[in-house]
Amino acid sequence: MSALSIVAGAPGKYISWGVIQISVANLAIIGAMVLLFILALVVPFPTHDEQPEQEGRTQ
Amino acid sequence: MTARTDELTSLETDDPGNWTTRLRGRIEGLVPAGQALPARQPVYVASWIYIFGVLTLTSLVVVIASGCVLALGGVQWWHVSSLGHYVNSVHLWSVELFFGFMVVHLWGKFWMAAWRGKRALTWISGMMLFGISIGTSFTGFLSQSNFSSQWIGAEGKDGINSIGAGAFFNVLNPGQMLLWHVVLLPLGVGLLTLLHIILVRRRGVVPPLDAELEG
Repeated sequence: MSALSIVAGAPGKYISWGVIQISVANLAIIGAMVLLFILALVVPFPTHDEQPEQEGRTQ
Repeated sequence: MTARTDELTSLETDDPGNWTTRLRGRIEGLVPAGQALPARQPVYVASWIYIFGVLTLTSLVVVIASGCVLALGGVQWWHVSSLGHYVNSVHLWSVELFFGFMVVHLWGKFWMAAWRGKRALTWISGMMLFGISIGTSFTGFLSQSNFSSQWIGAEGKDGINSIGAGAFFNVLNPGQMLLWHVVLLPLGVGLLTLLHIILVRRRGVVPPLDAELEG
């Protein structure tokens, strides 16, 4: 049995908070998605400088 | 030859009862001229939050392509072949990315109230896509042909029976679940995706809330 299959077969760790029970793996993924969402809002998007003759064609 | 062509063109335009002409008109009118694949976008689209819809679409292409390769080898292929196992993993992880990108896309569109400006159907089709995608992934878990799929089927049957659908949608029937997973549900996802994209191109990308208030 490889080390990877041992890890995959191990029982997950869970966090219990009142009626809420969630695995650490799922919580970490949700946290990463929230972080990705925030980064998508605040990180500047690379843009090209507009050419003067092309400005009239913007929608 | 030219006169004949002109004559046919004239006949087509003059005949409102021609089904082909009417269908062509409907297809051409789906999206404003030049908006099917626009090369330029409004300045507010220059934000990473607008990328996640395209990333979702890109993931869907990988999901469908890897699923087609899996279909070549058959449902048992990934148990007996390292290549099959690899393609199965590509299929699984492209689905994971598909859902991750789709949820961030959903969050972004929710907080910018993307149903504004007659875009309600765009929002509704997106929510339907989210729902039918979840159903497609669930039937995929039921099609693994291993103990995991058996356990999921046994756990899921009570829930399906409780809503009265068990007689028609039997999660303990791997053949039925596989066919739903590879034919019916992907067809639904594909058609809804096409509708969603047409609606986005028809109405354009929703502007930010403050941009509309200033206008």
